[in-house]
Amino acid sequence: MCKTLSVAAALVIGLCLQSSFVSAEEPQSDHRNVLMKLKLSVPENQKDREYLGIKNSSGKMSLAQIRAEVLIIEIFSMYCPHCQKHAPTANKLYHAIDSRKEFRDKIKYIGIGVGNSKYEVGIFKQKYSPPFPLFDDGAYTIANSLSGIGTPHYVGIRTDNGSKFEVFYSKSGGFTDAEEFLNMIVKESGIQRGGSR
Amino acid sequence: MKRMFWAGILCTLFLVVGAQNAPAVTEAMKKEIYDIGKLKPIDSELKVRVGEQAPDFTLRSTAGKTVSLSDFREKSNVVISFIPAAWTPICSDQWPGYNVAQDVFRKNNTVVLGISVDNVPTLFAWTTQMDGLWFPVLSDFWPHGAVAKKFGVLRSDGVAERAIFIIDKKGRIRYIGLQDINVRPPLEDIVKELDKLR
Repeated sequence: MCKTLSVAAALVIGLCLQSSFVSAEEPQSDHRNVLMKLKLSVPENQKDREYLGIKNSSGKMSLAQIRAEVLIIEIFSMYCPHCQKHAPTANKLYHAIDSRKEFRDKIKYIGIGVGNSKYEVGIFKQKYSPPFPLFDDGAYTIANSLSGIGTPHYVGIRTDNGSKFEVFYSKSGGFTDAEEFLNMIVKESGIQRGGSR
Repeated sequence: MKRMFWAGILCTLFLVVGAQNAPAVTEAMKKEIYDIGKLKPIDSELKVRVGEQAPDFTLRSTAGKTVSLSDFREKSNVVISFIPAAWTPICSDQWPGYNVAQDVFRKNNTVVLGISVDNVPTLFAWTTQMDGLWFPVLSDFWPHGAVAKKFGVLRSDGVAERAIFIIDKKGRIRYIGLQDINVRPPLEDIVKELDKLR
């Protein structure tokens, strides 16, 4: 009897804590809605357009237009000291993807400067030379819609070349090991298995 | 029974907490920032105008030195950046941006002077967690907000406005950007004005 009561009490507490854990995942549906509707300026740089598989050379584009099975987005700010410090590690993630030919064309990686103008993103690019495309959030779409997030914030989306838009990862904070982070993305996205998650 | 009860709780806690990732650094930093909420955009009256000679001042920096505006006369342009308060949301990500743009300021032969009404130890602790800043951070703590008052950017609650003053090598005010306190001034506005001084 005592044993049963103890286990029951522990389970109740566990469930309460678990529900708060689950609620921390809920914003992912908001993130999906915001990111799906997000309009970004087509990169001026041809190399960036080719990397993303964008045919237009100007105007606006959506994330779903990016030719990829999995899209990794770093939401950063030029003004954020942690993003500045994290920039060299963030660059390593691109090289980690690029060095694995099985993922090079399937996983694409971009950065969006939250609440940053085109000029401010340009200053960040000049300073840290990220090899992946950076976009500005000049319209403050992310800044206004996802105000609760901290920077840097990483989002993983399974897009399967525009046929779906599934946010499988969304967390504030950077990472210390790019290879480890890539392995986690591969695992969480289910991309290695070839099919859907 | 008690032992079993606590063991059950500990196991459950371990499983649940262990399932979550370690808190992100930025999330931890967010906890250090005091959210002051939305404030009245502007709550002071300017006492200086573009074209006038900027009032000189001498303030103590977080490096323990005293810095005067007149130190830069005939040497470089000066961007004076007043911010409302340390450990508040927008202020905490305004000056670190000027770190990234250091080359832009240097190219325009310009120094930045960051001024806040906080005392030196507070500003020291705050800017240290930003990994430091390349420009002097000055305390306008005592007499409280005296320099902010000279420029007419001391608010009724004792903090400064979020304001930018650009002073040329002759000591004249060339630009005043009195910003809504709730909004970070765009970097390009400052750079555009600096380009005019070249």
